[in-house]
Amino acid sequence: MTTTRAVEPWTLEPLRRFVAEAGARLALLTTPAGQVIAQHGFTRAVDVMAAAALGAAIAASTAEINRMLDEPKFRALTHQGVRHGIFLANFETPRGSMLALVVYGAGSSIGLVQLFMEDLVRELAAAAPVREAQPRTVLAADFERDLNQSLASLFGREI
Amino acid sequence: MSLVNFTTREITCKLVYYGPGRSGKTTNLQYIYQRVPEDRRGRMVSLATQTDRTLFFDFLPIELGAISGFKTRFQLYTVPGQVYYNATRKLVLQGADGVVFVADSQARQLDENIESMQNLHANLLEHGIDVRTLPVVLQYNKQDLPADLVLTPVELDEAINFRTWPSFAADALKGKGVFETLRALSERVLRRLSEAESA
Repeated sequence: MTTTRAVEPWTLEPLRRFVAEAGARLALLTTPAGQVIAQHGFTRAVDVMAAAALGAAIAASTAEINRMLDEPKFRALTHQGVRHGIFLANFETPRGSMLALVVYGAGSSIGLVQLFMEDLVRELAAAAPVREAQPRTVLAADFERDLNQSLASLFGREI
Repeated sequence: MSLVNFTTREITCKLVYYGPGRSGKTTNLQYIYQRVPEDRRGRMVSLATQTDRTLFFDFLPIELGAISGFKTRFQLYTVPGQVYYNATRKLVLQGADGVVFVADSQARQLDENIESMQNLHANLLEHGIDVRTLPVVLQYNKQDLPADLVLTPVELDEAINFRTWPSFAADALKGKGVFETLRALSERVLRRLSEAESA
């Protein structure tokens, strides 16, 4: 079963609508540095991070080439493969720049993806909340104990 | 920059392994990949040349588990060490929460270490990152080589560690010092995150 999941909850419904309307198989919203904001279709959290890192790398290197050529920021890149197409878009929201990486199959097309991407960008702009005040403390003062236990279990030994 | 979500209680941090070519940055990630249980790590992605030199980056996501009730993930990146890949090196550094500088302990590589350290400072400056506040740890790799070929950690500290960052002797091929380095950077990154949010 494919799922849609969001780290930033306000992105969830716009992404769900986009996936349904554009017929996307995989969709990923990230920051320009490759941090995952929302995703559809990936089954393992750690695999989605690899896709996010690669998408951010493509976007960053393309933007750098644009800058060298004194071209405006690119908006979208596409690649049409044999079974899948890949679409990578770069856009602004009230909460900062975002990247969208979309993989689509025979049931969709680049035209559909582009069309509904415009809707997605509009809906994200409308849904973005005003930046709320965050709790003052993230980690407890004694987080080292948790960190040591986590690293020990991760690496299978005492550190 | 770390992504902290208070609703889902998740933290994701980006750690970058920096240093001159062939100093052992990819070897660090390969060792971590081999040792971490499969369900706690993702696929290791390597964008490399046909001769296995890093062209853009290596990438390895790992799940630490719960830290103070936050599900914590680290994204480990390496940069290409070769001098002429500076443009891509700079891109990978974007958004870094912490840096491991992997130095090659061989005496004949000292100039490359110094040049790479200067390059790290220059690239951080271009990203507007204050190197004085960014968590950085140094790893002196290849300390297993014969003593007459390598500089000691004390000598390397004097040569490149003018900010007195924590430093660790290592033999990344066999894993010595790899986890200690990662642990030290993890702690500093999370401490900085905690201090920044509570300030």
